[in-house]
Amino acid sequence: MTVTDIAVVGVAQSASVRRSRLSEAQILVPTIAAAIEQAGIDRREVGFTCSGSCDYLTGGPFAFVSNLEAAGAWPPIAESHVEADGAFALYEAWVRLQEGDIDVALAFGSGKSSPSQPSEVWAQQLDPYFLAPLGLDPPSLAGLQARAVLDAGLATERDFAEVVARSRRNAAGNPHAQLRTPVDVEALLSQPYVRDPLRRHDLPPISDGAAAVVLARGDRARQLCERPAWIKGFDHRVEEHLPGLRDLTRSASTSLAAAKAGYDGGPLDVAEVSATFSPQEGILVRALGLDGDVAVNPSGGPLAANPVMAVGLVRIIEAATRIMDGQAQRALAHVTAGPLLQQNLVCYMEGEQ
Amino acid sequence: MKQPVAVVGVGQTHFKKRRDDVSIAGLIREAIDRALLDAQMELSDIDAVVIGKAPDAFEGIVMPELYLAGALGAAGKPLLRVHTAGSVGGSTVIVAAHQVITGIHSRVLAVAWEKQSEGNAQWGLAGGRSRGIGAGGAFAPWMRAYIHDTKAPEHIGWQVAVKDRRVAAKNPYAHLKMPDLTIEEVSESPMLWDPIRFHESCPSSDGACALVIADERVAGSQSRTPAWIHGLSVRSELAQFPGRNPVRVRAGVECAHDVYDQAGITDPRREIDMAELYVPFSWYEPMWLEGHDIAGHGEGWRMVDTGETELGGAFPVNPSGGVLSTNAIGASGAVRFAEAALQVRGLAGEHQVEGARTALAQAYGGAAQYFAMGVFRSTPPE
Amino acid sequence: MSGAGASAVTKEDLVMNHLVRLSYREELSPNLDRFVDGLLEGKLVGQRCPSCARMYVPSKGYCPLCVVAMDESEAVEVAQVGTVTAFTVITPVPYYGQQQVDPFVYASVLLDGVDTPITGQDITGIPHEQVRSGLRVRAVWKPVEERDVSHISNRGWGGLDSVISSFEATGEPDASEDSYEEYAL
Repeated sequence: MTVTDIAVVGVAQSASVRRSRLSEAQILVPTIAAAIEQAGIDRREVGFTCSGSCDYLTGGPFAFVSNLEAAGAWPPIAESHVEADGAFALYEAWVRLQEGDIDVALAFGSGKSSPSQPSEVWAQQLDPYFLAPLGLDPPSLAGLQARAVLDAGLATERDFAEVVARSRRNAAGNPHAQLRTPVDVEALLSQPYVRDPLRRHDLPPISDGAAAVVLARGDRARQLCERPAWIKGFDHRVEEHLPGLRDLTRSASTSLAAAKAGYDGGPLDVAEVSATFSPQEGILVRALGLDGDVAVNPSGGPLAANPVMAVGLVRIIEAATRIMDGQAQRALAHVTAGPLLQQNLVCYMEGEQ
Repeated sequence: MKQPVAVVGVGQTHFKKRRDDVSIAGLIREAIDRALLDAQMELSDIDAVVIGKAPDAFEGIVMPELYLAGALGAAGKPLLRVHTAGSVGGSTVIVAAHQVITGIHSRVLAVAWEKQSEGNAQWGLAGGRSRGIGAGGAFAPWMRAYIHDTKAPEHIGWQVAVKDRRVAAKNPYAHLKMPDLTIEEVSESPMLWDPIRFHESCPSSDGACALVIADERVAGSQSRTPAWIHGLSVRSELAQFPGRNPVRVRAGVECAHDVYDQAGITDPRREIDMAELYVPFSWYEPMWLEGHDIAGHGEGWRMVDTGETELGGAFPVNPSGGVLSTNAIGASGAVRFAEAALQVRGLAGEHQVEGARTALAQAYGGAAQYFAMGVFRSTPPE
Repeated sequence: MSGAGASAVTKEDLVMNHLVRLSYREELSPNLDRFVDGLLEGKLVGQRCPSCARMYVPSKGYCPLCVVAMDESEAVEVAQVGTVTAFTVITPVPYYGQQQVDPFVYASVLLDGVDTPITGQDITGIPHEQVRSGLRVRAVWKPVEERDVSHISNRGWGGLDSVISSFEATGEPDASEDSYEEYAL
């Protein structure tokens, strides 16, 4: 694998809220503008743009066509779209930058979960012949995974609650997060199950939001940013869809993506992982081989703010931000898609030595 | 950073109104297996998969590539889903090619598909509402404007339809094959969206198309001629804004000039041997000939009129039968790229353009606002 | 299925109907909310871009050319007369939820003083074959009690036909082509 020096030089995210009255494009307009402003570039310098969104979340075909309006597509731009989280759009932009003919690329992701019943929508992501007709929703699937984790002796319900409590504690300092009130582990454990063994707090909030990232290459990145977050490795891997074909207590494709991204398992300052349900954090920590010193989800993670289709890109933003502001030297972001961690992306970044 | 790449394998399904003999996974595998056979590869040789289709609402599955991961042979590999409206098949090939051009991967599988019979595309396009106008209704005013502006005679549209439906009979994979269709039959078919009549409009098909894209080392060791990629470009512009010209679309003009520049083409009409253009409604053939500066203003319809765009003409357009004969929406753009690649490889069979060494592929989508274009040659870039 | 032992399985047996109904509820964005309030009162309310002064009806809350947000202070009531800039006649395609049976006009109307044509409008007061670009038209409102704005959404789909039944020819002389050329389509 050949990798050119490419870095995150501008980031922005909207506040994550339970219900926004604005359209996705309206949320994106100031978000993209802020990322471009932070990068300190003129919009016209962007050589490639890629977006991520989901028609079924928006509730109509071609949701991305409206979102294009927020990207400033006149005069025409070189642009593409993934029906996936904005993190996969960033991957495509990162690939495109490596050709060497352009210096700056923009990626963004956006989603509003508030208009729909997410549990109904995401049930339609499952195998249409064998799973979708069952009406299995993500919390039910997550319940199966949580049970597998408990049965394997890898965690306890208290561990799940502690993940949530730490998420809320961390989110208290994150102005973009949605659930920012500290919670007490004992109080959490006294709550009823919504999907045994999961309690309401083990599930992510329903969120609306958007995020944008500006990437730059080589010397242009050094000019634009005092401390760029250099992408040292970027990879994603998918595995079989049917949960019955996978060991739900592990995330093999996360480990594989990290290895392919060249993450050597060395010490990290920060890891932002897409643990959408609390039991997944432990699975991901093990899959990535994170040790006790690394700060996991200092932003609060998806349990504190879950703007689907942007939430993965937000992980990369949160990790990159800590390099750009000098808090961290080595940071890793993890993004997931599909039921029960079916597809996983790892973006490994470092600051200038 | 930038290295020569080529299409070394092409596979298509037989396109039909209803492929109820196969599941979605089976349909896609049909195309993939043919592409791998052509490339003399196994699924295990593939480093990454890029998949494209138009709106998920067409089949009613959210991000269906996730459930298809196993069937795609993608387990343990990177899998990326592209969606850029009607241009998606072309964009998918381009996204896949970039992963090879940059040296990230050596062999990437691009696959694009639609199984429209699994749902209702008209319902999907209308967002479930009444008074849906279909794509034809949206494009009709622009075709009328082209006709008004260039004073093109009405038989031009009929002639494109006859050309494409007849030549489709030479393509074993095409959906509508009408070797005996006449101008009269087209002109007497029901008016759908003035100026578009029934026979001037694309069908709704089930089908898939797959391409294997490989680096120079792999492509150079193939026993069959690869289709070398000499230019790739995408452009997007807003769907609607004051002052927009949706007939001669600036994004389409710029996209074309970008691929011509990359391929060192200064006179496309002379230097390109054939083109596969996305023509879902007959009038789009002359509109794209002009909109991509292959023909001058008002010259596109004259190329049609004089038979220049027929198989055997000086500038054959859509010898595969085109989108007018076969339209599994998500796959259609990829079929343009696949057919252009087959032509420069000399593997197009009965619809082979004699001596085709440089071919142009184009796909467009949305409100004629998304473009994906490529130039293939039988020889590698210098 | 085929071969020995595969007894009398027909193709119909292999078809599984999986009908999915998903419902979406979304509050209108503030700009559309103002637009819809206007419709209920028989007014057409647009928004002017603070940067380039272009007038959008209905507004999406931002100018896609300048990529700047517009706020309430830029909301303006606009004229209800305008010019047909482009049209086609649609033969409706049947699908679940399609109620239209007869061919209908699908025209773009550029209201006076506005920079974006309203697409998908029916034209009345004149035979279909006489509909033309340049035709001057005025909004014909449904009676207040029949106005239905329930299908207008942030996604911009739905049209105005349940509020403004059509645009009818005013009988004025046609507008000259250069007056609307730039906004024709």
